[in-house]
Amino acid sequence: MARWTIKNVKISGVSAAVPDRIVETHEFEILTPEEAKTFDDTVGIKKRYIAPDNICASDLCSAAAVKLLDDLGWERESIDILIFASVTGDYKTPPTSCILQYKLGLPQSTFTLDLPMGCCGFMYAMTVAGNLLTNGHVKRALLLVGDTALRMGSLKDKSRVPLFGDCGTATAIEYDPTAEPIIVEFETFGKGYEALITPHGGFRNPVTPDSFKYEDFGNGIVRAPIHTLINGMDVFAFAISKPPRSILNFMQDYGIDKDRDVDFFLIHQANKMIVDRIVKKLQIDPNKAPYDLEEFGNLGGASIPTLMVARIQDVLRTKPTSLLMSSFGLGLTLGTMHMKTKPMVVSELVKI
Amino acid sequence: MTNIEKYNNAYKQVFGVDSSKLNDEFGKETVGEWDSVHQLGIVANIEETFDIMLEPEDIMALDSYKAGKEILAKYQIEL
Repeated sequence: MARWTIKNVKISGVSAAVPDRIVETHEFEILTPEEAKTFDDTVGIKKRYIAPDNICASDLCSAAAVKLLDDLGWERESIDILIFASVTGDYKTPPTSCILQYKLGLPQSTFTLDLPMGCCGFMYAMTVAGNLLTNGHVKRALLLVGDTALRMGSLKDKSRVPLFGDCGTATAIEYDPTAEPIIVEFETFGKGYEALITPHGGFRNPVTPDSFKYEDFGNGIVRAPIHTLINGMDVFAFAISKPPRSILNFMQDYGIDKDRDVDFFLIHQANKMIVDRIVKKLQIDPNKAPYDLEEFGNLGGASIPTLMVARIQDVLRTKPTSLLMSSFGLGLTLGTMHMKTKPMVVSELVKI
Repeated sequence: MTNIEKYNNAYKQVFGVDSSKLNDEFGKETVGEWDSVHQLGIVANIEETFDIMLEPEDIMALDSYKAGKEILAKYQIEL
């Protein structure tokens, strides 16, 4: 079973950066005003920050990292690990984490790693870096999680265009023998890999002229094989069934009481219907399950750190806080994580 | 309220139809407005009404009134 108890590791700070351009749903030309209103009401995403084409996820993450390092007062030389979790890296090769090590002025001794794990990206990055830090041989890690997901898909695909926002986050974690253990569990349902997929552009189906031929799939979905697609019903069915069951089992196995032991449930902000279902199934106090998708949209792997920056920042800055996190998406994968944070640095939202 | 009344209510709430319209022909192929949002609404109502958690394959398969009855039988819910 993919479970870890990660000792001696704490989150020291978190930050997020977004493009300085808000797009409201009614501004998408592919949606009628009625469709835009229905989308706002049912999916719950009223606006999102969208980057121009010359800004990549790495640029947003870099801005978040610079702000966080300044706020923490960490020297660049003190960073041992840099992880970049994203499905929208700068190039197919080399790994974007290497480029970020250079651009951020981190030392050559930095261990770098790219993790293209989609909506579970933050949790994978925490798990990998946490396990590398736990014995104290290295002390500090920077986790950069972000995406510019809109541009992965067709701009003529109504099922996808309004869902995503662009964002880059930075989370600083470090070795601390007094930290409470972080508990994490992952599950993989690879059988469902086609539910969220970009059919062309890899080595299974390399790019050819056919990759750019648009096809009308009905219901306002027009796309080419080079574009990322969402099989909506498959994703919904997975998202409203597996994560809540996993969270319940996780809490039961570790003796975590949802009312007594958890201050906040940070649930991947996929869309309002999915988050609402999970909250309802778990019978969580709604005040303990913050939402930010009405402002940011679905941010993929950056979803959870952005909730920390945008919705519970004051608590995180001042009090020890018990967090139960749930991520799910691409793969299909899901992760559940519990941690008790110490008061940390939470930077103000950066806009570039 | 009987189980069949509870089951019918799930559809009445989502589609705003009268019980007389509900039969084994009622489903994705015959109801124009049936889409993924409606299907999820039915799923949510059924899960809450009968206090069950459906598996993903059952959520996807619940695309008609008839299919829903068969799926509930798997969860030992007699209508």
